[in-house]
This record gives sequence, structure tokens and C-alpha cells, in this order.
Amino acid sequence: MPDARLLLKATAIGKQFPGVRALHNVDLTLNQGEVLSLVGENGAGKSTMMKILAGVHTSDQGTIELDGKPVDIKSVREAQKHGIALIHQELNLSENLDIAANIFLGNEPQKFGIIDRKRIYEESAKYLKRVGLDFPTDTLVAELTIGHQQLVEISKALSVDARIIIMDEPTSSLSQKESENLFEVIRDLKSQGIAIIYISHRLGEVMELSDRVAVLRDGENVGELAGDDITHDGMVKLMVGRDLSQFYKRAAITPGEVVLELDRLRTPAHPKDEISFSVRGGEIVGIAGLVGAGRTELLQTIFGVTPAVGGTIKLDGKELLPSTSLEAIEAGVVLAPEDRKRHGLVLQMSFRENSSLARLRMDQKLGMIDFKSEIDLAEETIKKLNVKTPHTEQVVQYLSGGNQQKVVLGKWLAMNPRLLLLDEPTRGIDIGSKQEIYKLMEDMAARGVAVMFVSSEMEEVLGMADRALVMHEGAITGELSPEQLTEEAIMQLATGNKAAA
Amino acid sequence: MNKNTLGILGLFILIFGFTWVSNENFINGYNMTNLVKWSSLYAIMGIGVAFVIITGGIDLSIGSVIGLIASLLALAVKNQWNPTLTVVLLLGLSLVIGLMHGLLITKVKLQPFVVTLCGLLFYRGISRWLTDNQTMQYPGTEGLDSFFSGKVYSFFSGKMLLVDLLAPLGVGMMVVGCIGVFVTFVILLIANFRKSIGWGIASLLLDIPLLVFCILNYREVKKPFLLHLWSGALVLLGFIFAAVGTTGEKFGLASPFFFLLVVAVVAAFFLNRTIWGRYLLALGNNEEGARYSGIQTDRLKITAYVICSFLAGLSGLLFAYELDSVQPAQTGEFYELYAIAAAVLGGCSLRGGQGAILGVIIAAAVIRLLRNSINLVGVSTHLEFAIIGLVILGGVTADEIIKRIVAKRRTAQVKAAKG
Amino acid sequence: MIKKLTIIAAATVVFAVGCGKTSDGDDATGGGTKHKIAYVTNGIDPFWDLCAAGVRQAESELGGVECEIHFPPKGLADQKSILETLLAKGIAGIAVSPIDADGQTQFLNEVAGQTKMITHDADAPNSNRLVYIGTDNYKAGRALGQLVKEAIPDGGEVAIFVGRLEQLNARQRRQGVIDELLDRPSQVLGKIEFDEVAKVFKGEKYTVVDTRTDNFVMDAAKSNAEDAITKYPNLACMVGLFAYNPPRCLQAIKEAGKLGQIKVCGFDEDDALLQAIKDGNAYGTISQQPWKYGYQSVRVLKAILDDDNSLIPANKFIDVGYKTVTAKNIDEFWNEKREMAALGAKKD
Repeated sequence: MPDARLLLKATAIGKQFPGVRALHNVDLTLNQGEVLSLVGENGAGKSTMMKILAGVHTSDQGTIELDGKPVDIKSVREAQKHGIALIHQELNLSENLDIAANIFLGNEPQKFGIIDRKRIYEESAKYLKRVGLDFPTDTLVAELTIGHQQLVEISKALSVDARIIIMDEPTSSLSQKESENLFEVIRDLKSQGIAIIYISHRLGEVMELSDRVAVLRDGENVGELAGDDITHDGMVKLMVGRDLSQFYKRAAITPGEVVLELDRLRTPAHPKDEISFSVRGGEIVGIAGLVGAGRTELLQTIFGVTPAVGGTIKLDGKELLPSTSLEAIEAGVVLAPEDRKRHGLVLQMSFRENSSLARLRMDQKLGMIDFKSEIDLAEETIKKLNVKTPHTEQVVQYLSGGNQQKVVLGKWLAMNPRLLLLDEPTRGIDIGSKQEIYKLMEDMAARGVAVMFVSSEMEEVLGMADRALVMHEGAITGELSPEQLTEEAIMQLATGNKAAA
Repeated sequence: MNKNTLGILGLFILIFGFTWVSNENFINGYNMTNLVKWSSLYAIMGIGVAFVIITGGIDLSIGSVIGLIASLLALAVKNQWNPTLTVVLLLGLSLVIGLMHGLLITKVKLQPFVVTLCGLLFYRGISRWLTDNQTMQYPGTEGLDSFFSGKVYSFFSGKMLLVDLLAPLGVGMMVVGCIGVFVTFVILLIANFRKSIGWGIASLLLDIPLLVFCILNYREVKKPFLLHLWSGALVLLGFIFAAVGTTGEKFGLASPFFFLLVVAVVAAFFLNRTIWGRYLLALGNNEEGARYSGIQTDRLKITAYVICSFLAGLSGLLFAYELDSVQPAQTGEFYELYAIAAAVLGGCSLRGGQGAILGVIIAAAVIRLLRNSINLVGVSTHLEFAIIGLVILGGVTADEIIKRIVAKRRTAQVKAAKG
Repeated sequence: MIKKLTIIAAATVVFAVGCGKTSDGDDATGGGTKHKIAYVTNGIDPFWDLCAAGVRQAESELGGVECEIHFPPKGLADQKSILETLLAKGIAGIAVSPIDADGQTQFLNEVAGQTKMITHDADAPNSNRLVYIGTDNYKAGRALGQLVKEAIPDGGEVAIFVGRLEQLNARQRRQGVIDELLDRPSQVLGKIEFDEVAKVFKGEKYTVVDTRTDNFVMDAAKSNAEDAITKYPNLACMVGLFAYNPPRCLQAIKEAGKLGQIKVCGFDEDDALLQAIKDGNAYGTISQQPWKYGYQSVRVLKAILDDDNSLIPANKFIDVGYKTVTAKNIDEFWNEKREMAALGAKKD
């Protein structure tokens, strides 16, 4: 966009944290009505850069100009005054308040010191219309889906007359449909002259949305792509500094015996829907579908944390209806859960203690911990999974997302599972670790383990699955063989259109 | 955990030294006998509640359980029940109380605070009702022992004379401690020189630069550094032992101390060496995460409440024998707060997932030492609570600040490692 | 089930009768029926059981009165609701031991407006109570000081132990002991100047080295005594101002192996203390004879209800006095106490 007006110009931004150089000489420009994507691996400095623009952090070096005039952004409030709003990855809404109250939270129009409720509701309705959210303004935020909550956040930004809206991983917990809806809104905002800075790991989205892409690596600019130059490979190359044309390639396999067999299984979340299918050893089965389709619940039922309400599960031909995760684990079923921090790890414990958490029971001697085999296990896990941790005693809280996921996987690999369940295995994980995790899944399959994973990332399902099951509202709407496996087929089934399959 | 315990030990030695300087009678055998006895009684309660706090729960009923068990003991004695049977039954009852707490909390999913708060009221009320709220006293100040066999008396509140052993033991500790201090000093000095010659020379002259160096490079020199500090502590403790041993006054170890010894060893072993202890810590940090790893969290939580109430029941017996009198309305009142204070000061986080048995014992001793100190130094009796509150607050604050600095450094290190 | 129904029925009747009474309350006091009066304590304690014994004694000896005794289990609020219920029932007279004299004055005046009210054990001097029945705790304290003088005629160091000094009676007792030991002139109750807590009082022969409070926590009471033995190697006498203090002192002395070497003088009539007096391990105690509180309360209330105000002195204070108990009269006193305790423990 050659004739676009320059809105923001950041020059030579530097930021130092104790012991770490987060940003160094980073330049960034933003034009009016433009979508600029910022990509890079985890820890590349994207979030820090955005936090500086939004006033959460202050920079150590460099200048920021708005409309050609230098500004000094010291706080979130000042950033808002300049028309910059940041929408965090974790939304900051008060669930117990309604939409209108959330939009004006901390910014309530007043009449004689009393909140002007009438105006709040009238004005919120206007903003909701602009983002295409068709809900009464007095709906409680708790009743909205994450996708809709996101739109409330955007409305909130609009309410303070934001000219620049920064979105940090906005689609990380959205379904495909919700994401697309969000993209619509973004295009709409753009046409209203609002500039968007978009941060995402999902390069497909970035390609779809962006006018320009700025790539950061290790806190420095490494390049910029515009227009037709924005390609998947191009971005990845800049991000990792190496060629990743081999990104997804799962070779064809010959599956072994049936490992898992579900027969009319009913989960407590969707007690009316019966689920039947089977998975063979050596097979990697992807489960696709929209958020809320019952995929996570299905895995949790097989894993025993939410026991089934009907039907049967067979593992290697033997009936298994676990009512606790312990029963499932003892039978050889393990789950790497979607919410790693809450369900997968004990964040305050060390790498060693997390790695052995499941295995401990098997290595005990009269209830006593076998410390030697525990340390051996931890060291082996580091080697096998290439975990980047300074030592076995590191508290896992301080590890990166990718390494944390490796801890979860390491814990389960030590149990020699028969069935490996993974729920969103690469969410929030940088590209390098992602690949390693895919490799691990393939290794497990190669050893005859049945692998089943849930993913909202279409590319992941397409690339990794030997076969995909698609769920919609608690039921399986179809199964796609490798030949049938296309993005469109998945979308058709995921939205409940059985006929298409 | 080690560091935390060391910190509280430092606090103990500080107050100990201060009181000693203020009043020379402090160190005499009679006073030390009393200090050990009361500290042991408090520590047993503290260890109990530590288990519950590790799970992220709380037990407010400890004092009332103590009151109930003590009252029932007194009643049984009055009605001339078989003493051994009574003791067994009462310990059984305290197990049942803990089991009920655990079941209500895990199966009915009530909050620990609510369950044990109701317990606090219920057991106190039951004690008063069963006894008609009569103070239970017994002819002769010998107390309960005249109703029980002499063996039980010597079992519960008899004292063993250890005065002859104490001085040589103290000297032995000092010798071992000095060797430890010296050896670790050399090891640390070498590490110091390797890092920078200037530091090394400074440390050669004084211990303080060495300590600063160690704190700055904690991770690299963790083992010899902790050993250095522990050796130092051993020298000081040995000095105290030797001093007590040579005052000539009679020093004895009351039976609560031996109970504590057994309880502490078993508890520390359970917490640090068994899989259940590890699971307990894991579930305290992240209950859901533990459940997803196949840990049966409910059972463990129930176990924690059972341990807590059992130790409260045991304390009830010990207190009853110690005081020779039971007031159903007052015996054990507010003890839960001292127990919780000891646990927290000793390194348990109320958020769960953290705890060290040795820390709790030393913290209980700090609380008792404070009271002893206030009495001996001659501070106004009205200031007692204020001082205890202030010291605990100070201790916990210092601990939190240190933790935060460590966490910051660690985050920075990890970030730096990632580049 | 039947029991529950009976209770409900009884409650209904009481309620109905209570409503009836308040409407024509004059009737109840005028007739030849028994006066219904209530004796309200400030809590639950063996001390109050002994007082209750006095109430029962007076009830049967004097005749013409029917007494109910109430022990508020937990503090001020309980006492207030008990008094309110009694008023609702149309009680003819109340003897109450106010928990917080100043704070309760207004409420006590409300009570006094609706029924005949006297105070016992603790006074509410600013209220409209008809009379206060109690002990001059300062005098009793001086008597205790006298006991200490007898116990250690050659003089020496004395330490005082008490539950709480916030209570007026505790302060008066303590001051009495100190004044007596220092041979100060006698002070008048109500105008006493209290000495501060953290101070050593040195007299010619006697030195009061310390006063320690325990807030009614038993292990604190004992460890306070232990610490005093440690701190003052030459301690000659320990004085316990509340009933449970002397037994704790005796325990500590015994464990220190100093029985007989350190004398004990106390207040009230705890069995352990009485036993020690008998055995010669403690010197003596000052008893308020709690049963006399109960007895006098009933006697005075009955007289007032019979329109006889001759028992009320001009200063509205009836001193029930105290009794000095030493080895000389221990058996006689203990027997009396046992009888009273048995009577008081009888539940209606």
C-alpha cells in the first residue's frame, strides 16, 4: 500500500530484562488500515515488543512516533489515550458481569458520579454491531463462547477509540469457524481505517490476513515480507533460519492389530451420542472438529477422568471401562492433556519429579522411592526427547512450552503405553519443538503404539494423521481415509454436513 | 527446603543467643528441660497440621480434638477404665475423626476450612457436654498417674536424666562441626579462587565475602555451601549442649520429646522417601495434574487429615498428662493457631505443596522459645502475643522475599539460557 | 420422637405463659405463689457450680422462691439473649454477673426497668441495679498478702500469676497483695490507684518481682511458673490469683524439685491447692466462699420482692467477705466445699 498514511514508527527499540536481552534494535512501522503480522518462534521477542507499544513495559532504548510525533508511552492508560489497545492471549473479561459492563469496565460514563447505565447499553450495542456480535448487551460474559468473548474484547478496544489494535494469539483457543468470523471482523476493522498488529503461530492465518509480515528472531528483526511474498515456507525460513520444506510428511504405514475399540461409548458430556470406532497399533489417528465438539471429553473418558455413562471400551481385546485415570494408566492408556499447566504438570516440582510422577509407582520398593532409577529416568528422558533444561532439578515452571510438553510426553513414554492420547499436542509451542513432538508421535507409532490426537490446527491433522475422525456436537460425523483427507472435507463434517463425506 | 530450614534455625539460634545473653539462668538444666518439653508438644501438633497444609487444606479443629481427647481421658480415668485400653480407644477415636474430616472434604466436597471449623465447635461442645464442663482434677498433684499404673506415668511424663551425657555429646558435636566447617571452607575457597582471585583472597581473610560469594553462586556451590552452614549450626548446637551439660542443674528429656522423635522420623521418611509423600506434595501443588497422572488424590488427602487428627489426639493425651488437669472449655483452645503458625513458619505454604518436617519442629521450638524468652527477659506480659505475632510475620516475610529473589534469578537464568 | 414432641409442647406452653405473664405481670409478684427468680452467671465454670449450690441452699431454706440458674456458654451475646428470654417470661427478679459492666449499662438498665435486678460477683456501678453482692477484692488481696507474710516471715521474692489483668477483680486482688507486702496504707475500693504491670516492687522485706498473665491457657499458666523459677533462683513465694494458677505453680515447683523451698499462696478453692495445703506443700488460700454469693443473692432478692428493703445498705454493696484457709482449718473448709460441690452439681 504505497499511498497509505504512516501511523506508527518504532525505531531501534531495545529492552533488557535481568540477564536477558529481550529486544535489540527492533524497527517496526505500521500504516493506517493495515494488518501487520508479527511472527517468530517463542521467545523471539514478539510479546515484549507489543507490550512496549501497549505500555505494559517501557523500552530501554529507541523511539516511538505516532503520526510523525515522538511519544513516550509509560502506562497502559497512556497507550489507550494514544489509541493503542492490546488484546491479551488470555482474555481479561469479568465473567460475572454482562457484555456492556465489560466493555466500559474502568471507563464508565458517569452522570453526577453515578454510572450512566442507559448510555452504557446504547453505546455497547453500537460496538457489538461493528464487530458483528449479535447478542443482547446484558448477556453475561460467562455465557459466551471464547470466540464471542474475543469480540467483546475488541468492542472494548473500540470503545476507547483505538486506532491500533494489537492481538496476541487471538485464535489459540478458537475453533475454525470462530477464527473465520474473527478474520471477517478484522477485515471490517481494517476497512474502517483501524490498523491491526497480529501475532500468531498459525502461519496459515497469517498468510490469509496479512498485508505485511515482520519476522523477529532472538529479539532482532530478521526480515519483512509483503503481498505475494508472504508464503508459508518463506516465513518459516526466516523464523528458524533454516529451510523447513520437509515440515509435514507422514509416510504411509501398514497398521497392526486393533489396539483400541470403542463400542457405542457414551460420554457424560454428550450422553446421547454413541461413539464407535477402532484404532490399530502403529496408526496415528487425528480427531478433528470444532471446539466444543466433544473431542477432549472423548479422550478424557477413554483415560478415565470422566468415566463413561454407557458402551464399552476394549484395549487389546480386553474390556476396560476405567473409572479413574489410574485404571487407564495401568492398562496402558495415557493422555497428554490439552491444558498442560493444569493437568499435565506439577509446575512447582522439578523436571525429575515430574518425569517420574507416573513411573514412581512401578519402581517403588515397599512404598519407598527408588531414587537411583528416578534420576536415571530423568536423564534418559532429557537425552531421548532432547529436552532443553540445565539439569534434572530445574523446576518445570521455568521451562518453555515445548519443553514442558516434552516433560509430559516423557512421563508417559516411561510407562510404555499401548495407547497414546494427545490433546492439542502442539498448542502454544514453537516450530522447532513442534517438529520434535511430531517425530516422537511417529516413533511411538513405529513401535506399535496406537496414537490418537485431537487438534484444531487443520495442517496438523492433514499432515500427521493416517486417518481422521471428525466430530460434531458429540458425535462422529465421519471418517476420512488418507485419500479423502482434505481441509474442505474436514470442514464439511465438522460443521455437521455428513453427506459431503 | 534445606535453605528454608536453615533460615528458621538461624532465627532460633539468634533468639536463643539473645535470651542467653539477657539472662544467664536461661541455659540452666531446668529451663532447658522445660523448653524441650513444650517445644516437643507443639511440634507434634505442628507436624500433624503440616500434612494437611501440604495438601493445600487446613485443620482448625486441632485444639478442640486435643480438648476432646483430654476430656475423655479424664472421664475414663474417673470411671476407672482400663488405662491402656482407654489410650488405644482414644487414639482410635482421633483416627476416626480425621477420617470423617477427610471423607467430608473429598467425597462430599466441602471446604476444609468449613469442615474443620464446624469440628472446632462440635468437639469443644461435646467435651463440655460430656463432662458437664467440670474441670477434671485429681486428688494429689501427682495427677492422673495415681489412677494409671506407674509404667504409663513414666511412659508419658517421666523424665530421663541425660545430664552426664550432654556435655560430651556437645563437645563431640562441636568437633565434628568444626571439621565440617573447615573442610567445606577449603572446598568453597577453591571454588572461589576459580571464579576470581580477588574474591578468593577476600574470602581467605573473612568468612563474610565467602558467604556472599556462595549466595551469589548458589547453584554451583549448593552442596558444600549447605554443608558449611549446617556444620556451623552443629558447632553452635554442640556449644549449647555442652553449656547446658555443665550448668550442673538437672536436665531431663520429658517423654513428649521421645514421642516427637518417633513422629518426626516417621513423618520425614513418609514425606521425603515414600511415593505417597511425593504424591502428597504433587497433589498439594496441582491436584488436577496429580489426578491426571494416575494419583488417587482423594485417598491421600484423607490420609493427611487422618494423620493430623491422630497427632492432635496424641497431643491431647500428652497435654493431659503434662498438666494433670483438664478444662473441657479451655484445654487446647487456640492450639490449632500455634500449630498452623509452626507449620507455616517452618516452611509449609498455605497454597500447598511445600513442607519440611525439620523446619516445622524448629519453628515450634522458636514459638516456645519466644514465650520463654519474653518471660525471662522481663518484657511486659501484655506484649507477649504482639511479639510472637511480629516474629512470625517477620520470619514468613523474609522467607517470601528470599523465595522471590531466587525465582527471579531462576527466570532470568532460564531466559538467558534460551537467549 | 415422643421426647421431641414433649419438648415442642413444653416450649409452646412456656411461650404462651410467657406472653400471658408480660401482659399482667403484676399478678405474679403480688400473690402468695412462689417468686420466680433467676441467677445468671458470666459463663461456665466450677466456681459457678459452687455459687449454684448456695442458690439451691437458699431456695430450700428460705422457701417462697423458685430459682432458675443460667450459665451463658459463650460470652456477652449469650448472656444478653438469656436475659431477654427471662424478661419475656416475666421473671420477677434477676441476679446477674455482668460480663462487661460499662458496655452493658444501658441494657442492664432496660432489665432493671422491667424486673428487680441485682448484680453479684461483678458489679455494674453505673446501672440501676438495686444492690451489688460481692467481695471486696482489694481487702481479699490484702488478706492474701497477709498469708504470704505468714508463709515467708523472713521476707523474700514474690511472683504473682493471674489469668488476665483486664478484669477489675484481678487488678484489685493484685494491688491488695502488693500494698500489703509493701506495708502501704489501705486504699478504698473504687478509688484504688493501680500500679503498672512491668515493674519490680521492692519493700523492706518483700519484693514483688513479676506479674505474669496466661489468658486462661493452661500450658501458659504452667510455663509461666516454670520460667519464673528459672528467672528468679531465690524466689520465695508464688501467688496465684485465679483458681487454676496455684495448682500450676505447684506442678512447676515439684518438677523443679523445690517443693517446700518455694511457698505457694492462692485464691479460691481448687482441690489440688487444698490437697497441697493439707500436705504442707502450699501455705494457704483466700476463699470467697462462692456459695455465699448464691445464697445472699437469693436472700436479698426474696426480701426485695417481699417489699423488705432493709437488707440494702446505703452504699448498695453487700460484702460477703472471704475466708482464710490454712493447714489449721483445711479439713473443716474442704468438707464444706465438698458438700456444696455435690449440691451444685445436682442438675434439676
